Amino acid sequence: MTATDVFGLLGCALMCLAAIATALRLDRFPARVRHAVAVIAIVALFVPAGGLPLVAHVRGATGDLSVPTLALAASACASRILGRSGFAPREWNALLGAVAVAGLFLYPLALGLTPFDPYALGYGSAGLVTALLIATMAAWRAGLNLPVLVVVVAIAALLAGAYESRNLWDTLVDPLAVLVALGRWAAIALRGMGNAFTRGKS
Amino acid sequence: MSLRVAGLVAVVLAFAGLYARALTAPSAAGFVVARAPAEARSSAPRYKAQLLPNSSAQSVHSATAVETSGGRLRAFWYGGTREGASDVALYTSVYSPKEASWSPERAVMTRELVQRHLKRSVRKLGNPVVGRDRDGRLCLFFVSVSVGGWAGSAINLMISEDEGETWGPPRRLVASPFFNISTLVKGPLVQLTDGTIALPVYHEFLGKFGELLRLDSEGRVIGKTRLSWGNSSLQPVIVPHSETEAVGFMRYAGDPPARVLMIRTGDGGEHWTAPIKTALPNPNAAVASVLLAGGPLVLAFNNAEENREELSLALSSDFGNTWRVARNLEGESPPPRAPVAEYSYPWVMQDSSGDVHVLYTWGRSRIKHAVFNRAWLEGGGR
Repeated sequence: MTATDVFGLLGCALMCLAAIATALRLDRFPARVRHAVAVIAIVALFVPAGGLPLVAHVRGATGDLSVPTLALAASACASRILGRSGFAPREWNALLGAVAVAGLFLYPLALGLTPFDPYALGYGSAGLVTALLIATMAAWRAGLNLPVLVVVVAIAALLAGAYESRNLWDTLVDPLAVLVALGRWAAIALRGMGNAFTRGKS
Repeated sequence: MSLRVAGLVAVVLAFAGLYARALTAPSAAGFVVARAPAEARSSAPRYKAQLLPNSSAQSVHSATAVETSGGRLRAFWYGGTREGASDVALYTSVYSPKEASWSPERAVMTRELVQRHLKRSVRKLGNPVVGRDRDGRLCLFFVSVSVGGWAGSAINLMISEDEGETWGPPRRLVASPFFNISTLVKGPLVQLTDGTIALPVYHEFLGKFGELLRLDSEGRVIGKTRLSWGNSSLQPVIVPHSETEAVGFMRYAGDPPARVLMIRTGDGGEHWTAPIKTALPNPNAAVASVLLAGGPLVLAFNNAEENREELSLALSSDFGNTWRVARNLEGESPPPRAPVAEYSYPWVMQDSSGDVHVLYTWGRSRIKHAVFNRAWLEGGGR
């Protein structure tokens, strides 16, 4: 098994574990129960079913996951299984805001809407690297540690060859992260509209 | 050192690595034009056609071939109970020009083997494309699908160092940011002057358009260029005619009139013209093309707007500006006709002796091989 296979399968397993922990709302249960469910889930994910472990079926559908998705999954596991809180909401809002913008920019164009393909820039465009550097430095200056950490880990994983892909975009964004990001920002927008409506009535 | 400073140091180191990668990325490279074959053995018109062996699959499709040592041909195709079935496998057979016959087919890759090697589920296999890299190794690209129909395709690569007798494990190519789905192959690869490979691919999810992937010597995608965009062009075939110039042809899936699409580049594939319609019809079907040594350009295509019942060869002496339909391989031919009158997915190539080979799907039940010389091709009629 190659290093990219190990990285890809572990990433999918982490996401599945986060999904199970979130769906069952494991944080309501005592630590012993939380840990037991997590162990059972991990074993179930790696037991071969139909010649392949369950986690390989998930990988067949999702491919390898970007670092923001892994960060979301790790955060969910930490809070639901280990009972640890992670980064502050403003950190997540900043990261997922950037992911949402990146996804809305990348996917329509990469899927053939125009002759311009921003995905091609991910193979080694100094322009894309510079744009990412500016965004990362802005986050660092604003004291946003999570987006900075995600970018550094994504670049390190790319340079270390952990991903099957040699494209920078694949480490920074994937459709699952974009979906979560759009959902979070839609919720924030709706909440803001609701608050404005309530203030208007009073 | 505070956490904040440590973060800044990490950012600087990470981006230094990223800039180093960007600055050392391979620069543009020219096309390697296929070497000129020797003179044809005979000037007398010569044509021979036969069906490839098929003892196991009810349905076969999408042949590809490469010349191997001794002037032999090794072909690949996919076959199973039906297109998209889980029992579809990739098959191979070898043609001996001395005996003018094909060896019994054997499976080189099954769905089960692919998913075992790729460490992920695979539902079905599809189009194979074979070619050589700079080191002379055979590269077999093929489509696999994990979720959904052909729009959910991804490309895989496996390499043989012994002319296709044995193969290394397949590896997944990543060519799309959207779950890496919807990238397929049909046209032959093109070698580039720096040893990298240009692989024409196409997308079928939401849009239908072509791209040219650039692969390094290990078969990893290191760049890509758009060949078209929108929702009507697919299955590109690229034919270089100098280090910087190439013409490409694509299947057309748009509104009438249905015509073969053509694109051009004059800078080694960095930029391509928008697709234009040629005078040749295209019933939303694959085409194939090769530049014969010293010209002309040959295009194998379905010569109708509505169906795939006629398969013809057209010649162009001006790199695609004008065409003359020279021969019909199917459509007006005497029996036996295929049970299903569909003759499609041609693959055309010229071997080192100068003979031209066309392989194509014959009624979805067999792969047919036609081999002929230039005198027959340019003679007209049948």
